[in-house]
Amino acid sequence: MFAIIAAKDLRELARDGRLLWAGGLIVILMLVALAAGWNRQVQLNSERMAGQALDYDAWLHQGHRHPHDAAEQGMHVFKPEPPLSVFDPGIGPFVGSTVWLQAHRQSEVKFRPAQDATGLQRFGELSPAWLLQVLLPLLIIVIGFNSVSGERERGTLRQLLSLGVPARSLLLGKAAALASCVGLLIAPVGLAFAVLVVARLPAAERFDVVYRIAWLVAGYGFYLGIFMFLTLAVSALVRSSRAALVLLLGFWVAATLIAPRTASEATNLLYPTPSRLDFDNHLTRDLADAGRKAWSAHFGTQTPWDPSIPLSKWGAALKVDDEAGYGALDENFGRLWDTFERQQRAQEWVGLVAPVVALRGFSMGMAGTDFSQHRDFSTAAELQRRKIQDIVSEDLIEHADRLNNAHFTYKAGPELWARVPRFNYEPPPVSFALSHHWTSLALLAVMFCLSAALAQYALSRR
Amino acid sequence: MNKAKPRPLSTLSLIVLHETRILVRDRTLPLVCCVLALMVGYGLFVGLSQATLRDRMVDQVLKHEQETQAANASTLRTVLAGKTALIPFSNPANPAAMAGTLSGRYATMANAPLAALAIGQSDMMPNYYRISYMSKVQFMYDTEIENPWNLLSGHFDLAFVIVFVLPLLVTTLSYNLLSAEREHGTLRMLCSQPLSMATLLSGKIIVRALALMAVVIPLPLIVLLLIHPGARGTEQLVLMLSWSALVAAYVLFWFAVAALINAIGLSSSTNALIMVATWTFFVLILPVTMNLVVGLISPAPSRTELASRTRVATAESLREFEDLYSADYRYASDPEALLVKDERIEVPSRMRAFFLSKQKVDEQVEPVLKRFDEQLLQQQKLVDRLSLLSPAILVNEALTSIAGTDARRFLAFKDQTEAFHNTWRQYFSPRILESRAMTLEDLSSLPRWHWIEMQASETRWIVWWRTALMLVLASAIGGLALARSSRGSAGF
Repeated sequence: MFAIIAAKDLRELARDGRLLWAGGLIVILMLVALAAGWNRQVQLNSERMAGQALDYDAWLHQGHRHPHDAAEQGMHVFKPEPPLSVFDPGIGPFVGSTVWLQAHRQSEVKFRPAQDATGLQRFGELSPAWLLQVLLPLLIIVIGFNSVSGERERGTLRQLLSLGVPARSLLLGKAAALASCVGLLIAPVGLAFAVLVVARLPAAERFDVVYRIAWLVAGYGFYLGIFMFLTLAVSALVRSSRAALVLLLGFWVAATLIAPRTASEATNLLYPTPSRLDFDNHLTRDLADAGRKAWSAHFGTQTPWDPSIPLSKWGAALKVDDEAGYGALDENFGRLWDTFERQQRAQEWVGLVAPVVALRGFSMGMAGTDFSQHRDFSTAAELQRRKIQDIVSEDLIEHADRLNNAHFTYKAGPELWARVPRFNYEPPPVSFALSHHWTSLALLAVMFCLSAALAQYALSRR
Repeated sequence: MNKAKPRPLSTLSLIVLHETRILVRDRTLPLVCCVLALMVGYGLFVGLSQATLRDRMVDQVLKHEQETQAANASTLRTVLAGKTALIPFSNPANPAAMAGTLSGRYATMANAPLAALAIGQSDMMPNYYRISYMSKVQFMYDTEIENPWNLLSGHFDLAFVIVFVLPLLVTTLSYNLLSAEREHGTLRMLCSQPLSMATLLSGKIIVRALALMAVVIPLPLIVLLLIHPGARGTEQLVLMLSWSALVAAYVLFWFAVAALINAIGLSSSTNALIMVATWTFFVLILPVTMNLVVGLISPAPSRTELASRTRVATAESLREFEDLYSADYRYASDPEALLVKDERIEVPSRMRAFFLSKQKVDEQVEPVLKRFDEQLLQQQKLVDRLSLLSPAILVNEALTSIAGTDARRFLAFKDQTEAFHNTWRQYFSPRILESRAMTLEDLSSLPRWHWIEMQASETRWIVWWRTALMLVLASAIGGLALARSSRGSAGF
């Protein structure tokens, strides 16, 4: 029975101009977004890979140099773009991609793409994820708002019910029609994209990406399903098509446009982000405190680099000074990043009224473009910096500490540079992303069930 | 009385009165106005708190600057009196230390007086830079700290309320101006009266437009005037006036679109669909697509290349000043060497090397950095042209210009900072090279930072041509709607 209903609805929708125009526009935008994103990603990744290889090469071949000066030149490392960033660039435009690992202080990931863009960037980024999150629910509302109320207004609902069609069949039929419309629009493009992405990857990474894609399908399925059942429910509950439309559009505006902004303002009040100045001052103070403690413990001086420390102890001093700082750096950056993650986790609860908030986090997580995965990269880069620093200090203790005032005449050679390993960053696997975002998915699933139940109730009341 | 010729003005006022009564009684208008007032209030609150945050930052930075200077001066006094011999990096008599770690000089840009009206780029671009002899690559890319997730979501500021939400409220109030009358069967009755459709439509719109404007325009301005003394100057009053004109023009534009759609004579649901489609296209899809197009037509140079250039330049400078870098270092065992003698001080050669090599790196990298700024200006020009396609972009650009939070102003700040950074270095360069010790007079005559505000005429021009364009668009569409409705096709 439900197949007949679905077929009839589908035919109706196909004849109606709404689906054709709106759907066509979405498909075109999706293709444009995919092509542009793909192009960008290929270019960025090859550029960064080449840049990093050149950089390491230059490190190895820097000739004879005082190790501390080598740490001055340092090393650049670049964040690789995850394969699915074409689908969802996530926070990508607003975080940097390049770290210059230098001596003494943790440097931040720099060069945010949004800094090289105009104010238009703030309207949003045209990506397939944006289209699916914002425009597709609108499309569902636009084609589905009168699917039940329209029947009632035309008097065909009574006839249907008088034939003894069970509410469940009616619901399933209507839902199947809507779902197949949406599916027809996005499935071909999505499938082609998925195949392309997976085919281009080395075999070792394929499994991970396939898992990610599968989870993405589940997340977006729940999300679009929520809107579908909600549309049907409202269409069945409300008196007229017009009222259903206005109500649904109002919900869409509030849930997809207003809620994300309000949520981030609210969590900012709840867990305030420190200003750069406060953060820097705090960090400097903590570093100084830790330094002072370490210096007095190791050398019995009150101030770092006290004149009473002979130059022949500078290698050891450098080591003590650096290591004293690690704790302060970890603590300060850790606190800042925890604040960011706490802000985001608090926003997930807004997902209860505005599913887009929950979905956005989940989608970024699966695409590998969320904050936790950015943090993972930052941490890896910082570990590499410490590795360089430790190797340099050890070498100074071994060699330069015997030279007294001629400390800086010491030159290390290629053997030392080669002791610093190449920076190989392995992005975390899908399980890492899932452990951060399973709550969002659970939330979406619960809301999906609720909206399906609401639709069932609404249709059975008729 | 029926025979008297209808006077359009009095009919219009009759319609306005009647419409007002209906809208107040069925509570749509008060409800929409309340929602708008709430959002405007909240948007303004967000804008104000962000502006205060940035004001406070500039204050803190300036305070920090003064403290450092006082500390430097008092240390210098003791050093000159021969009481303390310090390690090289913290000796203010040493010009290389003063240029670097001890500098405490900041380039700051205060908020424009109307900053609370739009957050724009201010949550991302820094409003102060710490000036030292460091290379530009090292200090020009420190951004303000903000959760990237929040940057992505955007702020709920007044500009968002105006650009995104206001058109939707206009839609709520006016998607069924004529269609509802027709669906209730009252349009026929109205048509039998000595009343033109154009008058009916204008009357209905006047009530709604005035109500919305009466909420959205005066509320923020009054609040700003009350709590922000800086907003009371003539220049600011003119800006507020242009802000009001701009917002009014934008509201009128959307009402004109509603009028045109109503004049076609479709059902209420279809009207609502068309309005929302128009809004989605102009406010959501076009700006996002334009962002992509701007990036494609005028792409930013590669940051990876910049990083590579920096590395090469750093390596070269390390090689060039190798002798200085590896010279003997006796200041730890012989602190006496750091004392000021005959206004001269021995600048440790390593510190001299740092100074020189950073300068060298900047010379090498500066052309690349310039390319970034030029490209951004190029993109901005492109946006100016493309904004003709979407009223949302047009208004957003003008709003951020008025608030002084647009990309242009931040770029100008960056530009001036770069120039100041060069002045700073030039001031110290001879002192470091000739080993001249810093004196107390020197400390009080260090180069000072002055932010030169952007030309007010430029901002005025940016705002007024956009306002004029919005008005022309609104009246063209409105005229079309009135012409179409009075042809009578709207009725049946």
